[in-house]
Amino acid sequence: MDVSYNWLNRYVEHDWSPDALAEKLTMAGLEVESVAPLGRHLDGVVVGKIEAVREHPNADQLVLCDVALGDGAPVQIACGAPNVAAGQKAPVATVGTTLSLPDPDDPDARQELTVEARELRGEPSRGMICAEDELGLSDDHSGIMVLGDDATVGQPLADYLAAHDVTPDDAVFDIDLTPNRPDATSHLGVARDVAALAGTEVQRPAVETPAAGGTAADEIDVRLEDPDGCPRYVAMLVRDVDVRPSPLWLRRRLSAIGLQPRNHVVDVTNFVLHECGQPLHAFDRRAIADDTIVVRRTDGETDFVTLDDEERTLPDDTLLICDADGPVAVAGVMGGANSEVSANTTDVLIESAYFDPSSIRRTAKALDIQTDSSYRFERGVDRDGQVWAAARAAELIAELGDGTIVPGMVDAHPDPPSPRTVALRPDRVRQVLGMDVPTDDIRRLLTAIGFDIEADEGALRCTVPTWRPDVSIEEDLIEEVARLHGYDQIPEPERVPVPSRAPTQRPSAALERQVRGLLRGKGYREIYTNSMLPTERAERFNDRPAGSKSGPVVETKNPISEEMAALRPRLLPGVLDVMQHNRNHGQEALRFFEVGHVYRRAEGGDDTLVPGYDEHPALLVGLSGPHAPTGWDTDPREADIFDLKGTVEALLDDLRLPDLTMTPRGTDDASITTHRLDVAAGDTPLGTIARVHDDVAEDFDLDAPVFVAEFNWATLVGQASPQLKRSYAAVSRFPVVDRDLAVLVPASQPVGPLQATIRDAGAPLLRRVDVFDVYEGEGIGDDEKSVAFTLRFGADRTLTDEEVDEQMAAIVDALSRHHDATLRQ
Amino acid sequence: MPDEIETLREEMEATSIENEEEAEAFRIKFLGRNQGAIPALFDQIEDLPPEERPEFGRRVNALKEQAQERLDTARARLEREQQAGAADIDLTLPGRRDFQGSTHPLTQTMEEILRILRGLGFTTYEGPEIETDWHNFTALNFPPDHPARDMQDTFFLDAASEDEEPPVLRTHTSPGQIRIMQENTPPIRVAVPGRVYRNEAISYKSFCLFHQVELLYVDEGVTMAQLKQVLYSLARALFGDDVTLRFRPSYFPFTEPSAEVDVWWEDDEGEDGGQWMEILGCGMVHPNVFDSVDVDPERYTGYAVGMGVERMAMLRHGIDDIRVFYENDVRFLEQF
Repeated sequence: MDVSYNWLNRYVEHDWSPDALAEKLTMAGLEVESVAPLGRHLDGVVVGKIEAVREHPNADQLVLCDVALGDGAPVQIACGAPNVAAGQKAPVATVGTTLSLPDPDDPDARQELTVEARELRGEPSRGMICAEDELGLSDDHSGIMVLGDDATVGQPLADYLAAHDVTPDDAVFDIDLTPNRPDATSHLGVARDVAALAGTEVQRPAVETPAAGGTAADEIDVRLEDPDGCPRYVAMLVRDVDVRPSPLWLRRRLSAIGLQPRNHVVDVTNFVLHECGQPLHAFDRRAIADDTIVVRRTDGETDFVTLDDEERTLPDDTLLICDADGPVAVAGVMGGANSEVSANTTDVLIESAYFDPSSIRRTAKALDIQTDSSYRFERGVDRDGQVWAAARAAELIAELGDGTIVPGMVDAHPDPPSPRTVALRPDRVRQVLGMDVPTDDIRRLLTAIGFDIEADEGALRCTVPTWRPDVSIEEDLIEEVARLHGYDQIPEPERVPVPSRAPTQRPSAALERQVRGLLRGKGYREIYTNSMLPTERAERFNDRPAGSKSGPVVETKNPISEEMAALRPRLLPGVLDVMQHNRNHGQEALRFFEVGHVYRRAEGGDDTLVPGYDEHPALLVGLSGPHAPTGWDTDPREADIFDLKGTVEALLDDLRLPDLTMTPRGTDDASITTHRLDVAAGDTPLGTIARVHDDVAEDFDLDAPVFVAEFNWATLVGQASPQLKRSYAAVSRFPVVDRDLAVLVPASQPVGPLQATIRDAGAPLLRRVDVFDVYEGEGIGDDEKSVAFTLRFGADRTLTDEEVDEQMAAIVDALSRHHDATLRQ
Repeated sequence: MPDEIETLREEMEATSIENEEEAEAFRIKFLGRNQGAIPALFDQIEDLPPEERPEFGRRVNALKEQAQERLDTARARLEREQQAGAADIDLTLPGRRDFQGSTHPLTQTMEEILRILRGLGFTTYEGPEIETDWHNFTALNFPPDHPARDMQDTFFLDAASEDEEPPVLRTHTSPGQIRIMQENTPPIRVAVPGRVYRNEAISYKSFCLFHQVELLYVDEGVTMAQLKQVLYSLARALFGDDVTLRFRPSYFPFTEPSAEVDVWWEDDEGEDGGQWMEILGCGMVHPNVFDSVDVDPERYTGYAVGMGVERMAMLRHGIDDIRVFYENDVRFLEQF
């Protein structure tokens, strides 16, 4: 919201510069985002009188003027404005004056120009007769600015303007108004806070407010058919108005806060809105059929043309202002084209109403428009501000357009609310704030912003002013006290109490740190990817094998774009994007991991935290490119699945997961991955390790094979957390015995089951078994391969060779029985 | 007659063994099976009178052992020297390395915040990102049809059934407050980290999602002064003891009074030598929030804080575009 410094200063006295005031307001809860200087001083610009105008001998577009400046003989000034005429008084920038001119190419920019004595097409010109825009007073460039008869020749223009209530330089505050401060949506509202901070009084312009009834009430009939939506409707009439352009002071007020001046009637309603916060609407009275105003709701959808000439479809139950024939305005949001004030209007009906905030908000949302009116109504305007605003507008419309106020007014107000009081305990103020605020200060601060205070037993009974609908409980008053007393006055205690229990940590947090550290150490970089992606891609990656619990992908109802219409069902698409980006930027080693949530619709049952949605954290590790950095004596090969499997094994071992199994599964149903291994702890599936299908990798411009491990992090944590508690097992003091074993097996025999058989048959003495060679080729049969193991035996005693031999024999026997293996000699 | 054995011993001890060639020459000269000086002494035994033979044999044996020991010691020393990098190895060649890994800068900032908060006695808690409208808004005193709902542009999801409000992607970590207070009784002192979503145009200063850390402390006698103290402690720990801070009034539906904290960020190119940067919003828990989770607002007071992790990380590292966090360019990641 824009607030003009000069305008504000009409209502309140203070000593602060614009920057100092901005700081004060910010610290009192009206955050000033920026202070923009507007216009500039007009030193060197004086009132001149155009004595004579004659043709320029060398230029059709220019005339030569003799201009009296009050200090000697008139000077000759060349001028190109169409409206220049002898006898006019006009602002003249004298030689040496620097002006800030509008840039014809950029409406927001200005360029400096110092006026010099020079020749224009062979004729001397000593100065410049100025248009309003050249002085920074408005955007008007239609001709030179013609001053009134009261201007004195030679008088500094600034003095003349000051006499007309115009200050050439101003500062505009952009206030980021919070929704709880409807009272500050106007200059008077902000002035109220300034006065409270400065210890001065707000000076609201004196206005003669009429009593309800009178001629106006005889002429206009107002019927409230929905007193909940519109509890109060005030109407006044001004007749015989000459609708004109507004005077400079009014145009300056509006343009300072970014409003385009239109005509004086519309400008006055805008001015009063920004003066006191009460939105007004001016109807052309002759357009109001039967002089009747009916406030009612639409019954079904209704088409209506608003005054911005848009045809809009108003939804059912929209609050309307109607005449005898039909709608003339969308209540509180925008007037209708059919009853708009125009240059031909003579009689003006001024509407000043109170509308229910949520009703206006629903309408503005449904129509997707926000106007200065709806913005204020939906926050809640002063519950008792209607009459003053109507009378203020009527006075200005009449005065500036030579009209006559019809005596009296309509005040449809069937059920005036009684004042609200809130009790405030000064002790509670001190308790909540942790700051000593004397009771007298509390009273003084609240009184300054309009509260009536009565002392009661241990509490202050505070009557809430009608412009503070946000204040309804004690805490609201505590905040008012705090912000006016100053948040910077709140002390920082030297020491603070903390509950006497040590902070706990969820196992997931500790495990996450552990896994991050491990993967970092193994040369993977952590990534954070967008949870949102195109629906099509989400569905492609949503692997839902028959019988799995995976649900459909989650879509948002109001996506930013098609590119972000769904939520990721798994982390894989995100890492592929990152791999693609980095590959395209010359990165060959693509090693990433991510911990993040994944989401699916829950199919059936309300057992999820949020009904219908299944969300859990996931862990992904992805790998592509060389297996090691290039070195002077290393020749990196392309990474393969065993590089990733090794990382995963190390990770799962580090988490001490019990009963791990990894079962080959081939290609998944969605053809996203191949060479898949299902990882489980006992019966609990944990995740998968796989190679990304080449077709998928190709879609992401990845030419090297891509490997990826994905885990349900919640399940992993569930399985790993019991392992965080460790019990000690005594370390054996006895020597171990190592033996090697090489067997020949059919070439198609997987090695994993051999290892499992060795473990089973080697119990209880076998401590570990590692594969140290797999060989096919010369020296052994075509359909055979040789697999070599190293075995370690141990016990809580010294083993004899005989014992180990026996165990080895059992192992060889088991391998031969289960896998057709023969000992390699 | 000079003792031949003693002479040989002195000669042996004077022979230098400073490299492998010298070691081999030493071996051949003294211990070599064919022409070595010590084996040659053994050959002399036969020429001695029988009574001198045992003593001579013993002394030659001792000499042989001494020579062997000198050789072994020297060779061991040479090997150690070679391993340690003797002059003939090019030690300027780079070492054999593995790939470098890293954690994300957002993780690092998040962990730093949580580390500080653990020291200040906060337990951590995490909630879901898909939230009910009630947890995200209503219970936090965002009335339906209230302009406060416009403060946070929201992504909506389809309701599971017609009689339910559509769930949302949480717009803040504050619904965590509600879930914690539903599950626990005061005193409660928790930090809630997590990802949140805003349906806003993407630019250098805003992304459709970001991360927050929420703080909640509910107990008897909690004051706004304590809130200020804990936030200033946190900000000083993150940005240094000399950081300039500002505590000013603001508005959030779920706190009353509400405040925001700004840090003064120096910027030599700026007009005023810097600017105030908002780092967090906070306030005293609104009684309506306590009512929605059955906590007695007369007995308990509390404070709540929400801070943006991206903003903190951007300030700490001088990052001027929020989108780089989600691009994951290795040249960015490797800086952290």
